[in-house]
Amino acid sequence: MIKAITLREITKSYGSFTAVNRFSLEVERGTVFGLLGPNGAGKTTLIKILTTLMRPSAGDARVEGFSVLTQGKEVRRLIGVVPQENNLDRYLTARENLILHGRLHGMKPAAYHPRIDELLEMTGLASRQHDFPDTFSGGMQRRLVVARALVHEPRVLFLDEPTTGLDPQSRRALWEYIRGLRQSMTVFLTTHYMDEADALCDRIMIMDHGVSLADGSAAELKDAFSRAHTYEVEFRGDPQGYGEILAALPCVRSLEKEGSVYRLTLSGEDALKPLINSAVGADIRRICLKEPSLEDVFIALTGEKVRE
Amino acid sequence: MFRGALSIWGRDMLVLKRSIFSELLAVVAYPLTLYLAFGFGLKGYISDVGGIPYPLFIAPGLISMTAVNAAFDESSWSMWFHRRVQRTIEEYRVTPVTVYDIVIGKIFSGFTQGAIKGAVVFLVILVLTPFRMDLGHLPAYVLCLALASMIFSCLGTICGTVIDKPENIGRVQSVVIVPLIFMAGIFFPLSSYPAQVLPLIRLLPTTAVFEGARDALLFGSVPPLFLVNLVLSAALSFVLAVYTFNRKMAE
Repeated sequence: MIKAITLREITKSYGSFTAVNRFSLEVERGTVFGLLGPNGAGKTTLIKILTTLMRPSAGDARVEGFSVLTQGKEVRRLIGVVPQENNLDRYLTARENLILHGRLHGMKPAAYHPRIDELLEMTGLASRQHDFPDTFSGGMQRRLVVARALVHEPRVLFLDEPTTGLDPQSRRALWEYIRGLRQSMTVFLTTHYMDEADALCDRIMIMDHGVSLADGSAAELKDAFSRAHTYEVEFRGDPQGYGEILAALPCVRSLEKEGSVYRLTLSGEDALKPLINSAVGADIRRICLKEPSLEDVFIALTGEKVRE
Repeated sequence: MFRGALSIWGRDMLVLKRSIFSELLAVVAYPLTLYLAFGFGLKGYISDVGGIPYPLFIAPGLISMTAVNAAFDESSWSMWFHRRVQRTIEEYRVTPVTVYDIVIGKIFSGFTQGAIKGAVVFLVILVLTPFRMDLGHLPAYVLCLALASMIFSCLGTICGTVIDKPENIGRVQSVVIVPLIFMAGIFFPLSSYPAQVLPLIRLLPTTAVFEGARDALLFGSVPPLFLVNLVLSAALSFVLAVYTFNRKMAE
């Protein structure tokens, strides 16, 4: 079966700097795929290669079986693109922006008018369709860019940081639209927001310095990084004095104290019983497993240092 | 074929239609002022040039100047704005249209703006001044104007493609375009140049534009050498504009 997206040994270099290094990937049809990474990780370069805006220095990529190197026109016929910046035409009304997009895709008025009506309704912009995008809020402009990318009913939708700069309500509204699309198309998105990737993506890849660091569902990634089994423990009464006893237990790998709460990393699930049975077990008031968030996984893989 | 170019041209014409009156007012004011200032102000000092009354001598050049300036302005600023500010060129490039569609659409927008604005200045000069000509000379003049608009639209497209800072587009206009226009004999006969310089001046495409336009409007035909110059310049600038845009987009 043809994959929605295939990248084979893609490399993109600018002089001595390598933005993407021998990157390979396959994305199944109907997947919401999230590419995560800090600034400069190579995410936007990959989207630009996949949308034919940029040629790779080496390797090839295919979208729905068509090569970005030799079949760019066919690729562009099948994709919708929501770029990082709202590149709407401010001299055209919302509806005219969508009409121009339909025309550039060779659609006839009889095909694009009903589709545009449907999209304007879906994005809640029907009442503002004759207004210019400059008069829209950031969330409305973003919804219009998404609507524009969907006019020609693409098979693969690329979203480059789709909710950056939006308020929480607009973000959640946009998530709803994206969730609604998963039945009809493959979605490839990049984001900085871990909650976004967690909420939307069937599969997540974390990349940095042009290479893939981890790949799987949000649950798989968290699970892979939760093997350390971190627990938070509170004691009845004065918490002082428990530290030395806990540190001496063979099942405790590391120990931190934050206020009255001890954070323990145990050797595994089996280590919970020896902890309860230890000398401090009877004084434990509350013990809870600290689930790693996707952000913990991301920071663990890409480091805490701020990028230029 | 060229469906994309037509869609982009259609977009530009829709935007032009919305602001046509303010655009035309601004466009007409400049050449009309020059016509009144030079044509009438200097009439007492320069009675005729080679037997042609001075206001009649400068009118074809002023109309052509309006057309080529409009073609250059529209192409350069529009290309720069769509590429650097709105980034709509990027939106066009993720649709099935080719880079050739984009650049041809933009060149034709510049050409159309030049032709429309040149025609309007022509009509205004015809209505407001004693300038008269034989209507049978119009086809040759329109041909000259079309080729000139095409050349300047292509030059504007090249500037809008390669120049990133807007002030540099203004500098190109001041340092290259304006001297090219004014050196080509809009306000004075080419015979004023020293004999050594004249052959070079005659080779300039702007000389072909303004001298050719004057001959077309006053005598009904464009001298063959000027016509060849115009056709070759239009073809060369078109190829250069398409090549430059294609190269820039591949970066």
